[in-house]
Amino acid sequence: MVSMVGKIRSRSSNLIKIGSMLLIIALLVTGCGNSSTTTADKKTIKVGIVDTYTGGAAVYAKDSLDGFKLAVKEIAAKGGPTIEFVTRDDEFKPDKSTSWAKELVMKENVDFLAGTTNSAASLAVSQFAKENKVPFIDWGGMSDKVTGAAGHRYVFSTLPNTAIIGKAGAVQLSKTPYKKIWLAGSDYEYGHSVISNLWSNLTALEPDVNKMGETWWRVGETDFTPYINAIRSAKPDVLVVGTGGADMVAFMKALKATGLAQEIPVWAHTSYDPATLRPLGDQAPENVLGTNPYLSNYPDTAENKAFVEAFKKEYNREPAAFALYGYMGGEFLGQAIKKAGSTDKEKIIDAMEGLVIDTPVGKATLRKEDHQVAIPMTYGVIAKVDGKIAATDLHTLSPEEIMPSIDEIQKLRAKQ
Amino acid sequence: MDFATLASQLFIGLSRGMIFFIVSAGLTLIFGVLRITNFAHGSLYMLGAFIAYSISIFFGQGPNGFWLALLVAPIAVMLISLVIERGLLRFIYNQEHLMQMLLTYSLVLIAGDLVKIIWGTEFKSMNIPTILRGSFNLWGASLPSYNAFLLIVGPIVALGLWLFLSRTHLGKICRATATDREMVDILGIDSTRVFALVFAMGGWLAGLGGALIAPTTTISMGMDANIIIYAFLIVVIGGLGNVWGALISSIIMGVGEALGILFIPGVAIIIPYVIAGVLLIIKPSGLLKSAW
Repeated sequence: MVSMVGKIRSRSSNLIKIGSMLLIIALLVTGCGNSSTTTADKKTIKVGIVDTYTGGAAVYAKDSLDGFKLAVKEIAAKGGPTIEFVTRDDEFKPDKSTSWAKELVMKENVDFLAGTTNSAASLAVSQFAKENKVPFIDWGGMSDKVTGAAGHRYVFSTLPNTAIIGKAGAVQLSKTPYKKIWLAGSDYEYGHSVISNLWSNLTALEPDVNKMGETWWRVGETDFTPYINAIRSAKPDVLVVGTGGADMVAFMKALKATGLAQEIPVWAHTSYDPATLRPLGDQAPENVLGTNPYLSNYPDTAENKAFVEAFKKEYNREPAAFALYGYMGGEFLGQAIKKAGSTDKEKIIDAMEGLVIDTPVGKATLRKEDHQVAIPMTYGVIAKVDGKIAATDLHTLSPEEIMPSIDEIQKLRAKQ
Repeated sequence: MDFATLASQLFIGLSRGMIFFIVSAGLTLIFGVLRITNFAHGSLYMLGAFIAYSISIFFGQGPNGFWLALLVAPIAVMLISLVIERGLLRFIYNQEHLMQMLLTYSLVLIAGDLVKIIWGTEFKSMNIPTILRGSFNLWGASLPSYNAFLLIVGPIVALGLWLFLSRTHLGKICRATATDREMVDILGIDSTRVFALVFAMGGWLAGLGGALIAPTTTISMGMDANIIIYAFLIVVIGGLGNVWGALISSIIMGVGEALGILFIPGVAIIIPYVIAGVLLIIKPSGLLKSAW
């Protein structure tokens, strides 16, 4: 590396060369963002979607986009408003998300922004949305700050955030006899936020719980054995984990390989989600508790069956939770445009506030005060049923049991 | 804290170091001989894991699939590396390092998209063969069998590399090229052929690392970025281009991290960087002699 500097003879010309190379690469990269625009019709609403279409989180962005596309198609088929959209790939980088958001608003003239699986990106795009008065539907980032402390008129969230997940986990754990608790997770916004919300709610529900210790691993950790070995030696009653995505699968695999879950029960949000269980096959651990906002076979209702059917027909796979979030994003938008009877952004926002729609999981409300969607949450435990590993002992928590109260949200926002 | 926990944590740390070594040995070889900072090394590792996954799936996730994947995936990655070297890299050996970095970095982007196109975005998992599942006890310390397997493979690879580099004619030419390329050219040896050989070998090592880690973790896009940071840290600490330096720093990194996780779990994430920082302050040129 040191000799590198010495070898550059005419520095400025080289810099120009390199600069132009970078520019070309940047242009090539931007070419990756595929678009599907039709002719500009002033009566249609155009949505600019910034999301992570490459890298480990792409599986979620793909699901939410397909869910959104399905909603748009269904709305149009029912004679509702036409919604156009363009997509941009932020590569899980918040700085890219904001520059794409700017580009979409200024060059593509989008009316709405949506997407952002990366929580930090959600917050950054939300800030941009606030400053430029462009409404933003977050269907990817789970940070509780989006509709909590940093919430405002121009941001909506159509997925349960970490405050809701943490509260649901605390309710589930309060129904167990476990008192000595070890907290662990991925060292990033989502991991810390789920764990701190769960812990504050759990100590409120059960003041006699006791925190034995905490472990944090980096995002993308491939080898969990040293972490599990260390936690095992501390012998807690339960291990509570805040991790997501690819790390979730790797962590579950390590639970099985080390046999930890046979000794110590584990709690993790989305532990029994198909995205986690399917790749694991018979290598999934039992005795893992968890919460989950959506399963394609639960709730077992006609609405959910119809949604699964339609999604399967369109994309040849079962919808996962993020498909529902994208779908709800599209549905809320479509119905709000209809309700407002106008394509004026401010009027659509007014229509979205407090809007109640029918979804595959029942009634969903976009709360008027904080723009956060309220849907039920399931909880259960992984066990072997007829030789197959699956979620068992499923129960549903109503939105009232798991949503943070409006008072709490207002207190958080007042602090800002 | 009992002795058994400490001992098993040490074992686990050592086995972690073995994966680090196998991947970073390839990187440091390429560093030393070709003088190229190969950002795409992590991508080759990722490809190794994905190819191993496909082979394993083809054989119904059975034990045959695993062993065959371990054999075939590194060779497949080696062939890909050979194509990359002959098709692209050999044209830029006389360019500045920045050009070489740009090229290898573009390969990272291309490999990322290729993996998405071929394998899709869903998380993938490959089974550990039954014989390597579970744990066993060693003087009261429990050690997962797969980690023990890594503890056997790592030293075999190290020994193989040592035999190749110090005992074979070709290995000696490789080392000579690393020390003085012009001299090797003057002696009538085609040094670019040596480059191709070393790059292919580096690719084989990356592929082997990917195939070895595949059964223990999620096979997903983004694996490349996760390993490359460790690999670069290890290569720099060990001394650029020095395979034995890479071995020593891999072990320090693996064991150091495992002990950190045991004693200070809340901040274990910074341990690799603390280790790197401290070692570089003590010995800025790397633990062993750099080839540069």
